[in-house]
Amino acid sequence: MEQQEKNAPNRELSFVTGGEVNIRQDPWWWLVVTVIAIIILLVMIAPFPFKDIVVFARDGVLVTILVTISSYFLMLILGLFGGLGRLSKNKLVFGISSLYVEIIRGIPLLVQLIAWYFASPVVIQKIGVWLNFAPLMYYRANPIITAIVAITVCYGAYMSEIVRSGIQSIPKGQMEAARSLGMSHFQAMRYVVLPQAFRVILPPMGNEFIALLKDSSLVSVVAVADITRKGREFMSAHFNPIETWLMVALLYLVLTLVAARVVSYIEKRSKRGS
Amino acid sequence: MAQAIIEITNVHKRFGHVEALKGVDLTVMEGEVIVIIGPSGSGKSTLLRCINRLEEYEKGSIVVDGIPLDTNQNINAVRREVGMVFQSFNLFAHLTVMQNLMLAQTTVRKRTKEEAEKVSRELLVKVGIPEKAESYPSQLSGGQQQRVAIARALAMNPRVMLFDEPTSALDPEMIKEVLDVMASLAKEGMTMLVVSHEMGFARAAAHRVIFMDEGQIVEEAPPELFFASPTQERTQLFLSKILHL
Repeated sequence: MEQQEKNAPNRELSFVTGGEVNIRQDPWWWLVVTVIAIIILLVMIAPFPFKDIVVFARDGVLVTILVTISSYFLMLILGLFGGLGRLSKNKLVFGISSLYVEIIRGIPLLVQLIAWYFASPVVIQKIGVWLNFAPLMYYRANPIITAIVAITVCYGAYMSEIVRSGIQSIPKGQMEAARSLGMSHFQAMRYVVLPQAFRVILPPMGNEFIALLKDSSLVSVVAVADITRKGREFMSAHFNPIETWLMVALLYLVLTLVAARVVSYIEKRSKRGS
Repeated sequence: MAQAIIEITNVHKRFGHVEALKGVDLTVMEGEVIVIIGPSGSGKSTLLRCINRLEEYEKGSIVVDGIPLDTNQNINAVRREVGMVFQSFNLFAHLTVMQNLMLAQTTVRKRTKEEAEKVSRELLVKVGIPEKAESYPSQLSGGQQQRVAIARALAMNPRVMLFDEPTSALDPEMIKEVLDVMASLAKEGMTMLVVSHEMGFARAAAHRVIFMDEGQIVEEAPPELFFASPTQERTQLFLSKILHL
């Protein structure tokens, strides 16, 4: 006990100061540092247009991060249920989740985004007229929420398949052993199968995060002011495409490279237990 | 050995076109140790797995400790009373030995952590590996893993233990440590059904040996009689093949 108490704060500290430790353990952090240094250098050497672009796109970076993180966590939840549904013995549940996966995977995300933004409000308004229900009749799509819904639904389908394959990779004996001890199907899933499946799907989950981060640039077509849209606005106002898209690319690169490092750090940590 | 604890009546089971069990009747008395032998595909593992309903059967009935295996509720009740040990151990790979032993105690038996830990430590002493409590299954030898699996099943205080070829996946030098644990369990009066080809164990610990072939019980007898003078031709043939040494 005493030893545990002594160790605990230390472990906490090394976690907080992880930045330096990580650079030593994971040299790819230098790439992140380099890209950030290039951005700073460009801003200092040529404040116009680089500094102006960064200042102008600042809110866009936050929007990109907001859209990415919220749709990522929502699509994880959707993917968990989708994946469990794909393994369900209940034919209705299996049918619905399989149909969802097959249809959504077959339609480009860009098309889905546009449909959610332009087509779904009209449908909702028509339902409102039919029901004579005012809040629906005058429904207008909120761009950010619509974008998050569209990405969640699309990525949830891919995630369902990742979850399904992860669960299927766990030997059947694990479930049988749990059931033979009297655990319910739910308990066996919750305590035995899913924790093991989670380790298996961690790497593809990381990939999905980075892919989603990049695909979030598509939301710029449905009036969401993310980095990409801010870049387009800046370019049309100042006519300097080279500098604008160089800076936009660098901003995305910082985000994806940091995400990649975090993903690899989480993967390494999760391996430590086994 | 007064009371029947498992009553199997006319159980049929098929996998697609293959009939795995063709009408099996068996009554197991409390405290009895039964060893089931037979060629692969004879239905012996399937019979064992029907008793705690890991396999469903089409026809017949199984009653364990007075509880018929029909509703989901009853199936879970039976599973709480029946421990099972598998050929491939099936320890929970992401949990330590201690956590493996505690999980079902806390989630199914609703014991407190302290109780569950106390029971687990005692059982680890009993199976002879108290020092491995904090190890993960992957850090143990096959024999150690199987002993943990036995302890995990015992932690639920089962009234019956099923062993499905518990030593078949083990290296030869580890078989004895597992059989020793099983033999001491038999001595304590645990009701046991063991699918195994360990004839030494059958001779020493079993009250009855059952020979199964093609989904049926062909012959059953106390071990001394069973090995000395089997009456059925199929039993004699099978024994002559496995007792070649």
